[in-house]
Amino acid sequence: MKKIKLYNYLIGLFLIGATTFSLSVEPEEFMKDPKKELRAREISKNIRCVVCQNQSIDDSSAQLAKDLRLLIRQKIREGNTDKQIYNFLTERYGDFILLNPPLKTSTIFLWLFPFGLFVIGFFIILKHHKKSNIN
Amino acid sequence: MINIVGNTSLYLALLLATFQTFSLFKTEKKFIKRYKFFVFGSLIFSSIAFFSLMYGYFVSDFTILNVFKNSHSSKPLIYKIAATWGNHEGSMLLWILVLSIFNFLIFKLCNKKNLNYVYKSLQIQGFIIFGFMLFIILTSNPFQNMKSLQSEGLGFNPILQDPALAIHPPFLYIGYVGFSAAFSLAIATLISQTKITDVPWHQYIKTFVMIAWTFLTIGIALGSIWAYYELGWGGWWFWDPVENASFMPWLLGTALIHSLMIVEKTKSLQIWVLLLSILTFLLSVIGTFLVRSGILTSVHTFALDPSRGIYILTFMAILGGYAFILFFKKSKYFFSEKYFIFLSKEGSILFNNFLMVIVCATVFLGTVYPLIIEAILDDKISVGEPYFNKTIIPMTIPAILLMGIAPIFSWKKDTLKRIIRISSPKIIATIILTLSFLYFYKFINFMGIIGIFLAFWIMSNNFLNLIFKAKGYSKETVLAHFGVGLLILGIAGSSVWQEEKVARMNVKDKMKIKNYTIIFNEINEIKGQNYVAIQGNFLVNNKKNKITNLKPEKRLYPVTNIVTTEAAIHTSLARDLYIVLGDGNSNDGWIIRFYINPLVIWIWIGVMFMFAGGLLSIKKNLNKRKNA
Amino acid sequence: MNKKIFLVPVILFFLLISIFFYLLLIDRDPSELPSMLINKKAPQFKAESLFDEQTIISNTEFGEEIVLVNFFATWCLPCRAEHQFIKKLSNKPGIKLIGINYKDKNEITKKWLNEMGNPYSKVGVDKNGSIAIDWGLYGIPETYVVDKNGIVQYKYIGPITKKTYKQFYSQIKKLKK
Repeated sequence: MKKIKLYNYLIGLFLIGATTFSLSVEPEEFMKDPKKELRAREISKNIRCVVCQNQSIDDSSAQLAKDLRLLIRQKIREGNTDKQIYNFLTERYGDFILLNPPLKTSTIFLWLFPFGLFVIGFFIILKHHKKSNIN
Repeated sequence: MINIVGNTSLYLALLLATFQTFSLFKTEKKFIKRYKFFVFGSLIFSSIAFFSLMYGYFVSDFTILNVFKNSHSSKPLIYKIAATWGNHEGSMLLWILVLSIFNFLIFKLCNKKNLNYVYKSLQIQGFIIFGFMLFIILTSNPFQNMKSLQSEGLGFNPILQDPALAIHPPFLYIGYVGFSAAFSLAIATLISQTKITDVPWHQYIKTFVMIAWTFLTIGIALGSIWAYYELGWGGWWFWDPVENASFMPWLLGTALIHSLMIVEKTKSLQIWVLLLSILTFLLSVIGTFLVRSGILTSVHTFALDPSRGIYILTFMAILGGYAFILFFKKSKYFFSEKYFIFLSKEGSILFNNFLMVIVCATVFLGTVYPLIIEAILDDKISVGEPYFNKTIIPMTIPAILLMGIAPIFSWKKDTLKRIIRISSPKIIATIILTLSFLYFYKFINFMGIIGIFLAFWIMSNNFLNLIFKAKGYSKETVLAHFGVGLLILGIAGSSVWQEEKVARMNVKDKMKIKNYTIIFNEINEIKGQNYVAIQGNFLVNNKKNKITNLKPEKRLYPVTNIVTTEAAIHTSLARDLYIVLGDGNSNDGWIIRFYINPLVIWIWIGVMFMFAGGLLSIKKNLNKRKNA
Repeated sequence: MNKKIFLVPVILFFLLISIFFYLLLIDRDPSELPSMLINKKAPQFKAESLFDEQTIISNTEFGEEIVLVNFFATWCLPCRAEHQFIKKLSNKPGIKLIGINYKDKNEITKKWLNEMGNPYSKVGVDKNGSIAIDWGLYGIPETYVVDKNGIVQYKYIGPITKKTYKQFYSQIKKLKK
């Protein structure tokens, strides 16, 4: 099935339609409570702008990014926890929307790799070190 | 006309590369004569191809398809020229040019008395040139005729019209592509089982690694400088796949520089250095693949074409497969049963290598993991900044701590007593400096404190070692390491203590942040060479007096119909003041973003120190070779 | 030193190359994202109806026949381009068309539909984009195919064109059985 490339028609959209072209969070979006606002920013930094090339919604000027920023603030106001907000988003957009890969069976290797390599490497070096006592 | 010249040069260069790779060695005299011809010819024709394309941009010759697609007569001249390498096909010509330059350097710098070794190295380098030349001719030829004559070109992305970005590729490629020489030399060493006592191959590799590493460092930095000044939110590193692609060879290159020191001093670790030399360039090729094949999407990727991806992947498989299998077979000839004591120069360099490799492997895994998961499980996930920050930053901390004192460790064996004695003054100096800094800046933040401490740790060590003329420590090393300290200072300051204020302002409104007052003076329409813009004029004061006028803009480039935002920045050693004009109008007001980025300039200054250290090191190395 | 350990990078290297080859050779769009809604019940929503004072409640709309939910707006050029194909689909039997007007102005939309023809049996208004987010929308136009049991079976991204119409319709036809 031939599908139109996503970014092709989106670029068309932006060029002719979208007149609000903000560069990340706008003053009207800010929450009054600075702690809550900080929470919103932290969550936003972890949410991928799915219609951009590699940005978080906190950085992106896309319309969808702005909508999601507002949504997150709305959810915070309604008393949702961070986890509930993330779940809400992944239910609709998949794990792809999380910039911090969630810990699940398919990502265990990803998360354990650096630490595992460190331990393995350390043992290899230790092996070379111990024998020096014989010298 | 240019198309004919260009195409002829490409085919001739391909021919010469073929001969260079597949010629048989007959006699010494014939070899030198013949290979001189190949090497010079290769360089000449690659240069003609590259510079004729550049000339095409210079005169806006739209009969050349590549110039038509990527240029416009209204572009400022410097950006017309930079457009030569600002597109896929043109940048591949730059690849070939740099490959040819290093090809020539291998011929020039290696001692001709090691003729068979030089022959083998040039064969490998020749094969690399052959492969990429074929790639250009088959899939990425810029010299194609425009079917219908057009009076104007399609313009060029205005975001790329920036001085830092214009010179970023040449520097980057000297680094990125320069590691090919180390690769070729390593393969030659393996093929011929060259004994280090017969041919000082580690010295040859070192020369090229120094050149490549130095330029790669500044090349990466130029990319970050561009991102910071151009993109509009004070960021300079995004863990984007293409950034990662340049970072990985840099990490291994750093490991190489250090482990070469051990080979030089003790003749051990030969296998490791050979493997690193292979891996570093392979990573450059893998990076090229990821960027140009269309397998990933990224802000940096060039146009997508599956045949390109398939070709590069095949070439990579051949090159890498051959290298690894060769390594597997021949490494036993370079093995030496040496063991290291942790508390020694060797031990600390090994530890540095160990960490560089783990960081590199992590960056690699993070970059390709989404692809692996997609292929195996048909699931789409993202691996972004949070992953890289969480895994890599903790690992760099022990590396940086060691980096402070290790340069003055003794070879073979050092004692804990001596190390404590030597480092005590530096520990004290670091603590004093850190506390003074925190007193001055008054922001307590855990990661920030660690960052500042590490930065001052590096700086104290290097500074005090220089003053007290510590042994075993060259000026170049001091310069480069001190630069790393400055770099860490800049990174810590700008990441941890950045302040931001966003407000909707009308003309004559004021904004206050920390002890700065920003007054929105006026808004004007201005005209640039190939754009029109709305420019805001802001007066920035602190409590005492005026600091500056900042004039951020929102530009429209009519040719490509793209809108860009140009931030206005006031730089000082302590902080950057950074203002961005957002969307708005006279009725509703304008969205104004104001950032205070502490210590950012030290990132760039730090890199300059590293670059200077590298250049001095290259000079020293070449002088040594001349006199040898 | 165990020689076999050097075989590890070789194997890993070739595994990686194979994965890359696989990804290059299959028909794949790296910027495309799968929908989370496939094989799940259509998201519930309440929307103000464009043409009358009613409220459209989603669970009364799904569960009987095939429903196409088409997100559109008057300010979207590709939506205008695909409109003729939406009209074609509305004439096919057994398919109900619901339009969701995304971030638009009611009066302008009414005019637009009067001008271009209204293929929708109902039009819901999504002023702030919250319904769109519930459906996992990336942009407009997008069309979702919901089967007779109220399960989302397919997500079509972008405008339906002359080239893609036939195949899209044959996908829908499969659900009629």
